[in-house]
Amino acid sequence: MRRALREIRILARDPLLLFLVATVFVLIALFVVYPLAKVAIASLQTRGGDWTAEHYQLLQTRRLYQNALRNSLSVAALVGVVGTALGFVVAFTLTRVDVPFKRALHLITLLPIISPPFVGAVSILFLFGFNGLVTKQLLGLQDFNIYGRWGVVASQIFTFAPLAYLSLRGVLQSISPVLEDAAYNVGATRWQAFWRVTFPLSLPGIFSAFLVVFIESISDFGNPLVLAGAAFPMLAPQAYLEITGSFNLARGAMLAVVLLIPSLIAFAVQRYWVSRRQYVTVTGKPTASTSRIVSPAAKWALYALVLAFAALVLAFYAVIVLGAFTRVWGFDYTPTLQHLRYVFSVGLKSVYDTLIIAIVSTPLSGLLGMLVAYLVVRRRFPGKAALEFGSILSYAVPGTVVGIGYILAFNTPPLILTGTLAILVLAFVFRYVPVGIQNGIAVLKQVDPSIEEAAQNLGADAVTTFRKVTLPLLAPAFFSGLVYAFVRAMTAISAAIFLVSANWNLMTVQILNQVGSGRLGVAAAFSIVTIVLVTIAIAIITVLVERWSKTTTTVRFG
Amino acid sequence: MFVRRLAVLATALLLSLAAAQTLVVYSSVDEENSNRILAAFTADTGIQVQMTFLSTGPALARIEAESARPQADVWFGAPSENHIDAKGRGLTQPYVAAEAGALIGEFKDAEGYWHAIYTNPLALGVRTDVLAQRGLEVPRSWADLTNPGYRGLIQMPSPQASGTARAVVFTLIELWGEDAAFAYMADLNANVQTYTQSGTAPSGALGLGETVIALQFSPGFLKLVDEGFPVEVVFPAEGVGYEVASMSILAGAQNLDAAKALVDWMTSARGQEQLSAVKTYFLPIRADVSAGEGIPSLDEINLVSYDPAFASANRERLVDRWVEEVLGQ
Repeated sequence: MRRALREIRILARDPLLLFLVATVFVLIALFVVYPLAKVAIASLQTRGGDWTAEHYQLLQTRRLYQNALRNSLSVAALVGVVGTALGFVVAFTLTRVDVPFKRALHLITLLPIISPPFVGAVSILFLFGFNGLVTKQLLGLQDFNIYGRWGVVASQIFTFAPLAYLSLRGVLQSISPVLEDAAYNVGATRWQAFWRVTFPLSLPGIFSAFLVVFIESISDFGNPLVLAGAAFPMLAPQAYLEITGSFNLARGAMLAVVLLIPSLIAFAVQRYWVSRRQYVTVTGKPTASTSRIVSPAAKWALYALVLAFAALVLAFYAVIVLGAFTRVWGFDYTPTLQHLRYVFSVGLKSVYDTLIIAIVSTPLSGLLGMLVAYLVVRRRFPGKAALEFGSILSYAVPGTVVGIGYILAFNTPPLILTGTLAILVLAFVFRYVPVGIQNGIAVLKQVDPSIEEAAQNLGADAVTTFRKVTLPLLAPAFFSGLVYAFVRAMTAISAAIFLVSANWNLMTVQILNQVGSGRLGVAAAFSIVTIVLVTIAIAIITVLVERWSKTTTTVRFG
Repeated sequence: MFVRRLAVLATALLLSLAAAQTLVVYSSVDEENSNRILAAFTADTGIQVQMTFLSTGPALARIEAESARPQADVWFGAPSENHIDAKGRGLTQPYVAAEAGALIGEFKDAEGYWHAIYTNPLALGVRTDVLAQRGLEVPRSWADLTNPGYRGLIQMPSPQASGTARAVVFTLIELWGEDAAFAYMADLNANVQTYTQSGTAPSGALGLGETVIALQFSPGFLKLVDEGFPVEVVFPAEGVGYEVASMSILAGAQNLDAAKALVDWMTSARGQEQLSAVKTYFLPIRADVSAGEGIPSLDEINLVSYDPAFASANRERLVDRWVEEVLGQ
């Protein structure tokens, strides 16, 4: 209590800081917490507005909901395990083993991350559907049915294993291969060195990657919507169906709350238990990039696996490109530009809208992320832990829940935003800022505050210090935050589907509509346009951030 | 003199403002056809239209969620029972179209809350090439569809998500009564490959060869036939329900005059002729307008009407029953 009072007194002495802290608090309360509260309230009310628990009682009586919950959890667990294992194999091979084309394989593995939703689902239909290229044309299977559990699992592994790869790559890079070599040198077999040294050291990272994939899988909306089918209900699409198909907002909100619980638990475990147990054994630069613990046989076995996954990714994208430029997949392979023409005529407005929304929300998200990271690491004020939790909370909240929350919260006074650009931008900024915040916090924690103190001692005020010293140090985190925010803004669907309007529509929603009407060619064309735009944008952001950090950086480390 | 001129000027100004109005439409007619029909409307009247495609469910959910501050003027498309539902929830407002007299009772609301745009019967689209390969007959009736030979070959939309699928449920109930209809659908379930979210997905899958027998409203199939796909359109012999795609002016519409103009134009002979002129494959609702060449006229098909009021009142219950008894979930 006394500490809090002292912190408030310190805060009061610095009006700018007080203002910033208050602003961030209000923003997070309004755009993260308030919509979630609205969902919780809606799930407990009848259409007339009376309080009731009847929607939750349906969980006990309706097999549909029980099955949806069970299916979502089991799919998420399976995708988590397989996706993480696959991600680990690829990360281990590309960081530890001396094999050709590492850079190219790295980029190919990342491709699914920058793709719009449905790419995996549509490719799977093209390749493994009833009339799929592999199942029907190559293997001649008559009654192959991809709809249901295995279609969803396959498509989600393809979509989310790259996330596990990305995070495990970082983990493995922070474990020095010298340790493995040391174990090998003192007489351990290669196998022992891996299981007694590498594996235990990366275990927290593996667990963390599993939880990330688990959260992504359980909140995923696009893949199940196309591939699950009504006979294999899952929570996220079911919540959407309750609202849009059965017109039952309260039941949808109830399922959204149910969906939130496993996500939040996984998030809390990841955040407060696993992340405390990360090991970093690299001090300074990595000493050697390849380890001797991999035998030649194992090396090529691992490499074959990595090549197989990369080949699969390439096959999926080849199919999308082909699908976008042929008249009707599986029937008439005449080359055509008609799908692309459709995108640039009927769909052109959604291309512009998507770009505008992404361009507006990306810098806002980047700056907010750095600001919050700075406040959390460098400043002391009451409620700091709550602020940090609130600011990254939306990472764990499935998009469906966010979308329902925003439409409930911002279609009534005092703040009416439905149908505007603002509602989409706000949803994206607050939904995708956590990654920027986490990166910023990680970077700042490694920078000695004495550098900033030195600037202040030399007469710089807080703003100048932040701008001239802190911000340049944050450039890499800022950059990754920007890229993440942009990619997600271009490829988001689950929250956006509730928020698009006549004025502001998104390409991903167009893709959903086209997939829904069975016009996969147009969907593929939209997907390609999205991927090209995202790639161009990443290149532009890279150039801009590099130029900016060159002109402003005064101190460079490492 | 001056006052009169001022009045004329003011009227001209108002008229030009009205002409410059942009009508905001939530359309549940598929995007391509919405664009075609509404472009014909703009060409005829000069009224600009801003259209968002939302299938029936999302549209109604959106309109209800926005009812405190409506964002659109007209809900265009979606079967009439949804417009009855919207009327019951106070989401729409009445306006009797200038030529409402030319429409039969099933194609309009007596008080003018909604009017029909077009009508489509349910149909089966069948890939004749694949069935021939497998040595299977083309199904001719609802009863034929439960033939074990068709296991995993049928796609239809899910009643949970699609108004089209609910029309199937209502048709079967009208034909055989509720219990027999559900027993039939449970049998049919064994042959269904997947239930799609959208009411037009099955014809898309049929074109791709993803499925062999598709069930939905006829336009998607007529289009495939017109484009040269090996597809036959079958209207099951026992009888088929039909959708009456309708439109309502939303309560609180900001461009009321333009909204009324759309309702007047769409129900006029001129508007109805545009349905075939722009190749929508939709059937017109006026007896004095031809459906166009190659499109079956309504008297060639065994049509089954069901009471939209019953449909509207029982929808939620029947969808729940479908989930329980047919999906077995």
